[in-house]
Amino acid sequence: MADRADRAERVSALHGHDAGAAGEAGAAGEAGVVLHEVRDLRLHQIAAWPDTLTLVAEKAATAAGVKTAPTFGAGAANAAKQSALLRVEPLKWWLLGEQAPQLNPDHGTTLDLSHSRTHLRITGKQAAPLLNRHLPLDLRETSFAEGAVASSALHHVGVTLWRSQQGYELFIPRGFALSVWEVLLQTAAQFGVEIV
Amino acid sequence: MSARQPGGGRIDRSQTIAFRWNGKELTGHPGDTLASALLANDVQLVGRSFKYHRPRGVMSAGVEESGALVTVGEGARRDPNVKATTQELYPGLVASSQNATPGVRFDIGALANLFSRFLPAGFYYKTFMGPRIAHKKGGGTAMWMRYEKIIRKAAGMGEASRQPDPDQYEHGHDFCDVLVVGAGPAGLSAAAVAARAGLDVLLVEQAPELGGDLLSEPVTHAQAESQLAGLIAEARSAGARVMTRTTAFGLYDGGVAGLLERVTDHLANPARHQPRQRFWTVRAKRIIIAAGALERHLAFGNNDRPGVMTATAGRTYLNHYGVLPGARVVVATNNDSAYQAAVDLAGAGAEVVLLDARHAVDDELHRFARNAGVALRMDSAPLKALGGWRVRALQLAVADGERWTRGGVEPCDSLLVSGGWSPTIHLHSHRGVAPVWNDELACFLAGQSQSGEPIVMAGAAAGIWTTAECVASGRAAAGIAIAATNGATETAPVPPPAAGGWRNPIRPLYEIRAPGVKLKSLVDPQNDVTADDVRLAQREGFTSVEHLKRYTTLGMATDGGKMGNVIGLALMAEALGGTIPQVGATVFRPPYTPVSLGALRGRSVDAHFRPLRRTPLHEWNLKHGATMTMAGLWHRPWYFARAGEGLEQAYVREAATVRETVGLCDVTSLGKIAVQGPDAAEFLDRIYTNRFAKLAVGKARYGIMLRDDGLVLDDGTTWRLSATDYFMTTTTAHAAKVMVWLEELLHTRWPALRVHLTSVSEQWAGCALAGPKSRETLSACLKAPEAVSDEALPFMGVLETALNVGGGVECRIARISFSGEMAYEVYVPSDHAPAMMDALWAAAEPRGGCLYGLEALGALRIEKGHVTGAELDGRVTLDDAGLGKMAPPDKPFIGNALRKRPELLREDRPRLVGIAPKNRGDTFNAGAILCAARRVSGHGEGWITAVTHSPALGHWIGLGFIAGGHAAWRDKPAVAADPVRKGAATVEVEITSPHFFDPGGERMRG
Repeated sequence: MADRADRAERVSALHGHDAGAAGEAGAAGEAGVVLHEVRDLRLHQIAAWPDTLTLVAEKAATAAGVKTAPTFGAGAANAAKQSALLRVEPLKWWLLGEQAPQLNPDHGTTLDLSHSRTHLRITGKQAAPLLNRHLPLDLRETSFAEGAVASSALHHVGVTLWRSQQGYELFIPRGFALSVWEVLLQTAAQFGVEIV
Repeated sequence: MSARQPGGGRIDRSQTIAFRWNGKELTGHPGDTLASALLANDVQLVGRSFKYHRPRGVMSAGVEESGALVTVGEGARRDPNVKATTQELYPGLVASSQNATPGVRFDIGALANLFSRFLPAGFYYKTFMGPRIAHKKGGGTAMWMRYEKIIRKAAGMGEASRQPDPDQYEHGHDFCDVLVVGAGPAGLSAAAVAARAGLDVLLVEQAPELGGDLLSEPVTHAQAESQLAGLIAEARSAGARVMTRTTAFGLYDGGVAGLLERVTDHLANPARHQPRQRFWTVRAKRIIIAAGALERHLAFGNNDRPGVMTATAGRTYLNHYGVLPGARVVVATNNDSAYQAAVDLAGAGAEVVLLDARHAVDDELHRFARNAGVALRMDSAPLKALGGWRVRALQLAVADGERWTRGGVEPCDSLLVSGGWSPTIHLHSHRGVAPVWNDELACFLAGQSQSGEPIVMAGAAAGIWTTAECVASGRAAAGIAIAATNGATETAPVPPPAAGGWRNPIRPLYEIRAPGVKLKSLVDPQNDVTADDVRLAQREGFTSVEHLKRYTTLGMATDGGKMGNVIGLALMAEALGGTIPQVGATVFRPPYTPVSLGALRGRSVDAHFRPLRRTPLHEWNLKHGATMTMAGLWHRPWYFARAGEGLEQAYVREAATVRETVGLCDVTSLGKIAVQGPDAAEFLDRIYTNRFAKLAVGKARYGIMLRDDGLVLDDGTTWRLSATDYFMTTTTAHAAKVMVWLEELLHTRWPALRVHLTSVSEQWAGCALAGPKSRETLSACLKAPEAVSDEALPFMGVLETALNVGGGVECRIARISFSGEMAYEVYVPSDHAPAMMDALWAAAEPRGGCLYGLEALGALRIEKGHVTGAELDGRVTLDDAGLGKMAPPDKPFIGNALRKRPELLREDRPRLVGIAPKNRGDTFNAGAILCAARRVSGHGEGWITAVTHSPALGHWIGLGFIAGGHAAWRDKPAVAADPVRKGAATVEVEITSPHFFDPGGERMRG
């Protein structure tokens, strides 16, 4: 069913707002922050029961193409497959970029959430300071290194943040995405911002 | 007079900057504060006081300022009560006096000073409050009514701009191992040592420059200069992060500190994208408070005259800003610290008389003063400052044992006072740790925390007076922080130096008065609280510290008692014949210095006051003529007006069209929850009042949830997609509440149930199709048109299929109805929502269909008597809402026990009813109360929750609740009354069944 859906064109929550703004904005000079919406998100939730955690972890890791499923608060990526597995709750993973495995309900459940979030990638030297203007997360290298995952609130909206190899990956509930985007853009202006 | 010295100071003399003071152009230099620039221009009279309009000048050189409160800026950027002593000068700065009409020299309000003996502490309480009898006789509260306007005009200091604030503000979060508050010798050395040990150190300083007290040393003092440079270089090179112009204004649980960073307040032309201020929340493992100490003044006659300031302020103006506060200076002290000020001023050419309240000091200190040409007089103190708009001379007091007698008069144009020092323990006190009085140093020191606060005091904030020991104290504090953070280290932390450090003991002295001399001695100058007010409070029984504060307003002004609290306590102790510790200490609360409302709100303002939640059809709706309205955080279509239509015409047409052909409505905002797992059926059975366990796959059911207390929480439909997979919908209003409640039940009561809940509100976009032509409209958009035939999809049937859009878009359809018409809800993944609407609208429009919004949705459901959040307001039982049959008697569910409480079973509880005007042309409001005819009183016997013009019936109708329900009112005349909005007018109403239209439901099943 998801395959069929993917044949129809998808309209982003930021449609008409980010594309029009592409380019540089805010303070002059080198852009401290680069904002990019990663379109056509593929996001599946994989959830285990307490006694099937190990089994489901293996299936999730296989689906993502990573060696082992990440521990709570962490993510693992497979650059070759463009996929990643994030541990978002003690019993739940988010699988990015791949189809969820088939699970027997006695082992766990899966759920397509591809349309539920807007995915922003935030990079640049000032990416962490920008996020910390809103997020009460300790983003210092010692506590939020590459691979870290956290749930938090940004401008009153519950968001998920993952630090990937590319930068900070922010997942915003779709209905709030434009509002959060506007606030982030306004905040980022002081650093100089480029939208790609 | 005060004047700029030919050299010296840390100002940039190479540049001259112009600013305006009370309309007059003056000049200063970069590095000046507004206060130093005013003093450099010999402006002594700066403003008028709060209550008595007494003339006021610069009284300090810092945040404790109580005299030079001024208004800075113009137009939308006008800020009142700015301390001139902390406002950095910039080109074009505009500032003016406050509380002075028409001008600061001739101020009408100063009449208050003449009548001040009639305006004692508690004046308002005594004058304007009284029993009702006094009211009738024209006293007490009646007087208040008469004079309120005049009093309100006289009250307050300065006036903020009434225009919207044009500046941006923002919040920020930071984290560190050690937060060091204050960058004086102690703070700088603490930061250097902690950072060198590998800790992440954040050093915050409220001033623009690092150095603290070292900045008040003469720049020509080579040793101090190199020490200053060395300490700063050490801290920076060790890797400490430094924030200047940043005040740590409060400490909270778990090492959380609130900081206010003033980003652009010192700039003439800030960069466009810079916020004016930042409100930082810092989470620190350890906090070192090296915030210094504040010099106290003394209570004596006219101690608030322009020209009177603290001794350290006089020294700071000279050495930091190159301004000599006066040519003939009297320095009055009770401790050693003011000697340095006297000597520095004498060195700069002032004629200096030093009054020391003590009987004797050691020879070395004597020589130190005398060698500098300072005339030293022991056993002497100030009794009364003389002069009107500025100090001209000082009436001296001479010690007579413990008492004082009147002495001679000493001419002077500047009077510098030191009454001792109060360590800045405010932040520590914020943690609820009571300060402890130290008799030897005559000051409060930070108390011992019982709850293990991660705080270390250092430097003058710990009562350590000498620079060398402050440095040692900072290093010792860092050692403690390092050990606490890194665990045991090879070298144990060095013990900190003991508090103190003066060569000669301080003579505790708070007030000077002499027999036969009438004085007005200010204790808290900012709030015009006098020494006599404190004694009056004691006589009237307000002897506890907290009562004293509230009765006299001592310590309630913007300086939070920095100037006057200790003196007030001392006077109260004296009046009670006790000691300061016996009287107690007021505990400081945040903020240490004022925080602007702008900084508190950050970016949550205007369009971003709260986040806006848009459906994936937002743009589509707007493009098709929607007028939007707020529903919680959601923006939803309210109505789709056609040419010439207003709200009323539009919604009536939309509702009528739904009953005739077909209407489309964006229902994305409904809450949607995926309920998955082998025990999902069991879970639903427990939370809904009605049965769900046996709901067939491919079917939906309407359900009601109760709270534990037996009242209705929410309603909605739940669809069974597979044996272990359900799709629950909730009301828009209660979506989050239901999700949280269900998660709580799973995690706390039923952890053994194998159920996962996930909000899918954002995953699926929904459209309701309602009306006799809804089936053919929907059918025309499907890849398999027959899938929605009456046989294939009967009432309450559920289907997963595909829309014939693009390459096909997966969709979920349920045949359910809110409007009472044959109707469907169709959901597609959100990114496909516009495509779905394009298809549905293309099929509906040629069939005479319409788009409809919330208003028509409301009209249709009121006609049907369907409840929503307006009715399910948390006070309603199943029976109240007419839904009693939704609870089978033999089935357990959440809320079942408590819903049978006697109070909830009473027959006369308000029950859901329909309401119609007797005279069909009448209307009534939602929120009106329902009363028996001719008995309109109190809250009435019921209320109206929702109203609409009913297109089907052709007149106004409403839903509401009334005692006993409609059966009880069959033969009883009732009226709708709206006393607050409509006065005494009432509307005669008929109380009916809530089901106005098609009560049998044939239309939706057809």
